[in-house]
Amino acid sequence: MLIELRDVNKTYQGAQPLHVLKGIDLDIDRGEFVSIMGASGSGKSTLLNILGILDGYDSGEYRIDGTLIKDLSERQAAEYRNRMIGFIFQSYNLIGFKTAVENVELPLFYQGVPRRERHRRAMEYLDRMGLTDWAGHYPNEMSGGQKQRVAIARALVTKPDIILADEPTGALDSKTSVEIMELLRELNRKDRLTIIVVTHESGVANVTDKIVHIKDGVIGAIEENSRHDASPFGETTLMK
Amino acid sequence: MKDLLQEIWSNLRRNKLRTCLTGFAVAWGIFMLILLLGAGNGLIHGIEGNSGNYMANSINAWGRTTTLPWDGLKEGRRISLKDEDAIRTKEPPFDAYVDEVATAIYQSGLTAVYGSEYTNSFLMGVEPGFAAMEKLELMYGRFLSDLDMREQRKVVVMGSNEARELLGTSDAREAGLSVREKARKARKLIGKFVNINGIPFQVVGIIRPDERGGGSRMYIPMSTLRTLYRRGDTVDELYFSFHGLKTKEANEAFEQAYRKKLNLAHRAAPNDNNAIGIWNRFTMNMEMEGAMGIIRTALWIIGILTLLSGIVGVSNIMLISVKERTHELGIRKAIGATPGSLLRLILTESVLVTGFFGYVGMFLGVVATEYLDKISQNMVMDVGLFQMTVFKDPTVGLGVCLGATLLLVIAGTLAGLAPARRAAHVRPIEALRAE
Repeated sequence: MLIELRDVNKTYQGAQPLHVLKGIDLDIDRGEFVSIMGASGSGKSTLLNILGILDGYDSGEYRIDGTLIKDLSERQAAEYRNRMIGFIFQSYNLIGFKTAVENVELPLFYQGVPRRERHRRAMEYLDRMGLTDWAGHYPNEMSGGQKQRVAIARALVTKPDIILADEPTGALDSKTSVEIMELLRELNRKDRLTIIVVTHESGVANVTDKIVHIKDGVIGAIEENSRHDASPFGETTLMK
Repeated sequence: MKDLLQEIWSNLRRNKLRTCLTGFAVAWGIFMLILLLGAGNGLIHGIEGNSGNYMANSINAWGRTTTLPWDGLKEGRRISLKDEDAIRTKEPPFDAYVDEVATAIYQSGLTAVYGSEYTNSFLMGVEPGFAAMEKLELMYGRFLSDLDMREQRKVVVMGSNEARELLGTSDAREAGLSVREKARKARKLIGKFVNINGIPFQVVGIIRPDERGGGSRMYIPMSTLRTLYRRGDTVDELYFSFHGLKTKEANEAFEQAYRKKLNLAHRAAPNDNNAIGIWNRFTMNMEMEGAMGIIRTALWIIGILTLLSGIVGVSNIMLISVKERTHELGIRKAIGATPGSLLRLILTESVLVTGFFGYVGMFLGVVATEYLDKISQNMVMDVGLFQMTVFKDPTVGLGVCLGATLLLVIAGTLAGLAPARRAAHVRPIEALRAE
């Protein structure tokens, strides 16, 4: 198993402690294309943050490829993130004053890859996204779909074990959304990449092979979706 | 390193105005620091220049009046030093410290006449070694010689101001002439005979005007003065140079022992501090140096405080910058930036900004002090009796510049510390949410 979650609990401390994740057990194998679905407040964002080593958890175990991810120092967490995980965000999160290729190079910069090599690898991934001509452009000169593809190139450039996509189509129109999801599916099929998509759109979830439903901090159901017939309109199952 | 610099450059370029304004505060701070230190140095050099013609390690001693009864004698007795006191000065245990001893006698209230001109004269009978000891600067002619002493010649060495007066010129009549040109006129008096209270003396040397005051001193051989005024073997003032007394305590102990010896030789109480006057230039200089040190320290402190406001400005702006860049820093962290790398990024930016603008300020400060040096060349205060240089060489040395450089690096680091720590501890989840 690439990802193993065992009885993971997370409580946000505050005036009124909020028990967000109540014993999550989840296994995701290498090469799987999984979506995590749930309404807002269901704990899916928290789960994503834990999976992405952006946040810690209180009890339980989280392992990536057998490595226990728990109580890491900030430095260690940063290194693991850099090496193992590629992020794709709803709002792209590109750095505005850097060109497309510079954005893609950034993770490699933090790996200490030499400048020339960095540029070559970044261009290679931009090329795969069909953005060679846009390499020198700044994010505000590109469309949403292009920006998201730059972000995908940035996520892929370090050859991570896991791609985490947080509402990757949230800010895109429906046509572009389909294109981006197709792109992710292709990456999963061709490169055997492990991709986890967090979404509340059933249409997005339907593209993936496995749908994990999360509700009130517990996993409700895990739906095999190899035929991709989960209704985009939420008629069949627990989808809203 | 090159990547780091590029990151910083692109950030600074986005905020040109802000960077320049912040930089101005730092540049101004260091400019003021350099200017203050330069002006302070000018003042200190001026004062040092005025005391520069004293020999650093020397003591004067002269006879005064006793204030304590001793050995059957009442207080209020006049003490006058004798030739033997010069010999006593060279006896153990003082011989370990004392180098040269010279004596002098005075005759005041005299009038020197040359032709129809005259001036007040204060005659000082000295030995030839006196000139070196008191750092008298000969302009023309020669100083007194051993032969003058032996033959009791009637020769005189005087200051150029007195010589000029005797030649009938004065500042009022020679307005527009430089100090050097005025002094050159005094040369004419060499070889001429001047009457001092009716006795003709041949002028053999002209010395640079004595800025320390004391009126118009004229130097003649001690043997001549003794014979002319029947002064026997009394000595009005005893001078000696010494070495090996490094601390104030050592000097005081020496003075006390010396005083005791002279007091006893003159049948005065050994603890009578009034029987013999002692003036130690070494401790005077030490005290003066202490005062200079305080001035210098005060200037540094004022300068550093000025600089501090600039540094606080940098720190403030960096904090704002970090706050503005929270989102970007969060992205960097999410894709693998370690806290250390962000710390380095912000700290380096801070050091570079302070360093660059600091150097601009330092350069302008040095230019300003050089300009000050040009316009204040020999700014001399004339207090009538004597002249005093108040401002001289108001520049800072390489040492100050190096010190200021070090200060800038430290300042930059301090300024960047708080913002950098904040940047390093940006929490990526919150940063990414904040949009």
